[in-house]
Amino acid sequence: MTRVFPVVLWLSLSLALSFLVLPLVALFVRITPADLLAALGSPEARAALRVSLVTSLTAHLFVLAIGTPAAYLLATRPFRGRALAIAFVELPLILPPAVAGIGLLAAFGRQGLLGEELAAFGVSLPFTQAAVVMAVVFVASPFYLRQAVAAFEAVDRELIDAARTLGASPAGTFARVALPLASGGLLAGSALAWARGLGEFGATIMFAGSLGGVTETLPLAIYSELDRNFDAAIAIGALLVCASAAVLLTAKLLPRWIRSSPTSPLHSATSI
Amino acid sequence: MSRRLAAVATALSALALAACGDEGAASGAHARVLAASSLHDVLPQIDPGARYSFAGSDALATQLREGAQADVYVAANRELPEQLQRDGVVDPPRVFAINRLVLIASKRSSIGAVADLRRRAVKLVIGAEGVPIGDYTRAALGRIGMTAALDRVVSEEDDVRGVATKVALGEADAGFVYATDVAAVADAVRTIELPARAQPRIEYAIAVVAGSPRRPAAEAFVRAVLGTGGRSALRSSGFELP
Repeated sequence: MTRVFPVVLWLSLSLALSFLVLPLVALFVRITPADLLAALGSPEARAALRVSLVTSLTAHLFVLAIGTPAAYLLATRPFRGRALAIAFVELPLILPPAVAGIGLLAAFGRQGLLGEELAAFGVSLPFTQAAVVMAVVFVASPFYLRQAVAAFEAVDRELIDAARTLGASPAGTFARVALPLASGGLLAGSALAWARGLGEFGATIMFAGSLGGVTETLPLAIYSELDRNFDAAIAIGALLVCASAAVLLTAKLLPRWIRSSPTSPLHSATSI
Repeated sequence: MSRRLAAVATALSALALAACGDEGAASGAHARVLAASSLHDVLPQIDPGARYSFAGSDALATQLREGAQADVYVAANRELPEQLQRDGVVDPPRVFAINRLVLIASKRSSIGAVADLRRRAVKLVIGAEGVPIGDYTRAALGRIGMTAALDRVVSEEDDVRGVATKVALGEADAGFVYATDVAAVADAVRTIELPARAQPRIEYAIAVVAGSPRRPAAEAFVRAVLGTGGRSALRSSGFELP
């Protein structure tokens, strides 16, 4: 019996790994590097790549600029309803993206809750790149927020208190102590959120539609090329796998690298 | 390459069919019908007892070629079953229904005619190129010299449901769909008929599968669809009859 158990464990792991890895490997087996480059050179793929980069990076700026201070508040100030706030922040993580799309339409669509107010300013969001950005922010920001809250919580309270005792302002403490100390976790969360945003599909197709060069992102292009040009769909898929793998690797390695680097933020923090 | 994907998809669906087959063996007298998605609402009205599998007509044709166990094939065009007949997969198909392309406009928009699509502020949604509804739409616009309307397109959807939904929600002003898609969104849209010369020929054909394991049930199903009950159900769902 004692010999059987480890065998079961290893067998389970091998099964899980082969199931998860095989589809990814298959993408690359099906297509030669030359085919891949040729397909990626197509005007459709290039337009989708441009749309994806522009929208996901724009979305990411919003996520970082608003998410970082919001996560700091959630991590450091106990307030009534904090648990509820965290629950709402995490909800989009498990929400089906199609629901996110319907929700965005119901809120910001022409006939949505804020539709008339937006129309009064001459703004119509659906079918625009702004709609893609909003869909990406909605589904990707929880990945950053969650990680950022955890990273700020992991910062030693005593260092923060010490900074305050030594006369640093709350904003100064945030910028010069908490932010550098949490930077590893923040960067990891940032990478994950960006990767999630890059792969966003369901909310985008519902809220922003799909139009080449305007709202057709890489995942949308894969979907529509599937019927027309399977090789192109595979090539775009392979590209997304590479991008996601790079981002994931960065997210895994960054915190370690930052912690072990000689210019560790810990040094600068303790030398305040 | 895409043939290999199709083979994988077929293997999977064959597996699914086989899995269902066990459970359905008890009710063996009912036909297993592979039918185009646009018939999703009307066929069960004609024969509630049959076991249906709805998908795109081309995907179903691939499944049949790969040996899916089915009794009847119902396609949203006549070319696919005719090809299958030439290859000995199905019996001679019969055209039993005709669909039309129509323009639907959100009730909140002021669009009342196809020519209104020239207006600058119009948001038009159509099917993507390569998707049947998208190809029909482009052909129809071309025939009446209205390709300028393609400049008003804000989204190219991958199926006709996507088009209907975005117009029904009022997010888009107008879109081209099949006449039979209108019923589901009738509360929210106006239907605008196309000029006769713009209308593409959209035919539905039905055929018994050559290797049908339940041939009497299959033939009874085809008779029901072609018969008076079938004809009236089709007509009340918005189809025209040949």
